[in-house]
Amino acid sequence: MPGQETSIARRGPLGRPRRTRPGTSSRSGSPSRDLGQEAPRVPVTPLGEVNWTGTRRSSYFPVVFSVLFLLTFVGSYRLAQVEPLLLFEAEGRRNILKFVSGMFPPDLSWSFLSLLGRPILETIQISLMGTFMAVAIGFPIGLLATSSLTFKGILNEREMAASRPRAMLHRASYLLARAVLSLFRTIPEFVWAFMFVRAVGLGPFPGVLAIGISYAGMLGKVYSEILDHVNPGPLEALQATGASKLRIILYGLMPQALPNVVSYTLYRWECAVRASAILGFVGAGGIGQQLEISMRMFNFKQVFTLVAILFVMVAGVDALSARVRRAIMGRERI
Amino acid sequence: MYLLDRVSKVFDGRTIAVNELDLKVRRGEKLAMIGQSGAGKTTLFRMLNLTIPPTSGTLLFDRLDIGRLAGRRLREVRRRIGTVYQQHNLVPRLQVVHNVLSGKLGAWPLWRAVRSLIRPAEAELAYEALSQVGIPEKLYDRTETLSGGQQQRVAIARTLVQNPEVILADEPVSSVDPALAAGIVKLLIELSETYRKTLIMNLHSVDLALAHFPRVIGLRDGKISFDLPAAEVTDDHLATLYAGSEAETAEEVPSRAEPHPVRSCQPHLTS
Repeated sequence: MPGQETSIARRGPLGRPRRTRPGTSSRSGSPSRDLGQEAPRVPVTPLGEVNWTGTRRSSYFPVVFSVLFLLTFVGSYRLAQVEPLLLFEAEGRRNILKFVSGMFPPDLSWSFLSLLGRPILETIQISLMGTFMAVAIGFPIGLLATSSLTFKGILNEREMAASRPRAMLHRASYLLARAVLSLFRTIPEFVWAFMFVRAVGLGPFPGVLAIGISYAGMLGKVYSEILDHVNPGPLEALQATGASKLRIILYGLMPQALPNVVSYTLYRWECAVRASAILGFVGAGGIGQQLEISMRMFNFKQVFTLVAILFVMVAGVDALSARVRRAIMGRERI
Repeated sequence: MYLLDRVSKVFDGRTIAVNELDLKVRRGEKLAMIGQSGAGKTTLFRMLNLTIPPTSGTLLFDRLDIGRLAGRRLREVRRRIGTVYQQHNLVPRLQVVHNVLSGKLGAWPLWRAVRSLIRPAEAELAYEALSQVGIPEKLYDRTETLSGGQQQRVAIARTLVQNPEVILADEPVSSVDPALAAGIVKLLIELSETYRKTLIMNLHSVDLALAHFPRVIGLRDGKISFDLPAAEVTDDHLATLYAGSEAETAEEVPSRAEPHPVRSCQPHLTS
């Protein structure tokens, strides 16, 4: 049993690496049981069926998890000061009534509506450019964050075995890509916008940057997950013809993943429309800027109009992306 | 063509799939491998087509040690070896023409590969290959609309376009209607004769192996149980080979054909 083999082939039933905990010596105990006997009758036993160490582990985990979850839930209920009744108390009722009745009738005066043409257009443009940027940044990083492309599974089996430094490089690039993506995601787009307004000034551009960066994080992660769950059979076949990774991506990975990738990207575009409205609050242009002004002036009639417009915009984008999605999926069925 | 010297494959440091196997395959030879599920046939194939490296032993392809190749040189050798899989391994959404031409990916420069997805670069070549396997009219069909047998023919056409020196066929008829199985086996034998290819085939069906191949190898527990001309394989040999399996003889091929397994990145331990 050459030591180098174990480093690449230590994987569970689904191709996931089996974690060997340093303390529990799963490797010192088991081989002797397995190899000490005469050659087993059926030597090829999927290892997942035999759990040599920590057999109990899986059985008490659900209980522990349930208890922890319950405690967290109860604790959160108290700490977050959840008091539904507050909504229905006299003062709450009065305020809500005042707020809602203040919205009527919505401000549909021409002087107000004529102000909105440009922000509406700007919001759509921000969301569109932001999503484009997110795809341009997120897709390449997403590829690097796809484990079946960088270090795991059949596409890397031989390369990883052939050279240890290269194997480490692949693993490092995977980890780096994931780290970058989660950094992009953990900072909310609102905060990104705030920073970019400082960097490039007021206007739509910081909004584009904010959506581009934070959505790149989300898209990249979801892309990598979609790509990781593609049927590896065709990829293996392409690899066996001598195709390079890039070509395998082109002919095997993308054709299989495309419907999901497009579908999710369109969904993100819809989210971007909503987000770009909010980003106006920190001065990143779009309809949000108008919303912020109206709210600050307690002009709820205008707020109603703006929210209604936003609703129509989001619904419109949703309908449009549904049609695109149908076109792609439909073509697939034929 | 191939020379294996005590080649072993051990998964997870303890599951022995192929055990110190010696094998010599001459150029142009046609041989069938039979044995129970889990005897190590598929693992052996995946070493022969350079998908997985052997754990130990020497694996020579055309006098070239291919055990530890990597990068460009690895891809160059892979180009010389064609594989036909049990599950076809085609991309269902693509048109047949792209699946066939993907056999050329190893040889094409990248720009041609990209351009070909928009407008097939060598459609005549694909058409010719499909004619060889008997379904030229399917050239522009979406691959997933084809039947299992037709898809296997597309996979064979892909290998023809690749134009390798060796064709490895890993249970190419297990997921095909048994009535069509013999046709596909014959097709592969004829094609490899016409184009002077070496052909190595894994088969579930003993009958097909004995009827069509001059040399038959029985694999059991990752070792060669027998390696004989088809005429010299006796019932005793087969009894030893299949002893202890639920299906004593491999005549029940159709009933033993497994349902479409969930594919994973894991090397096929059983199949």
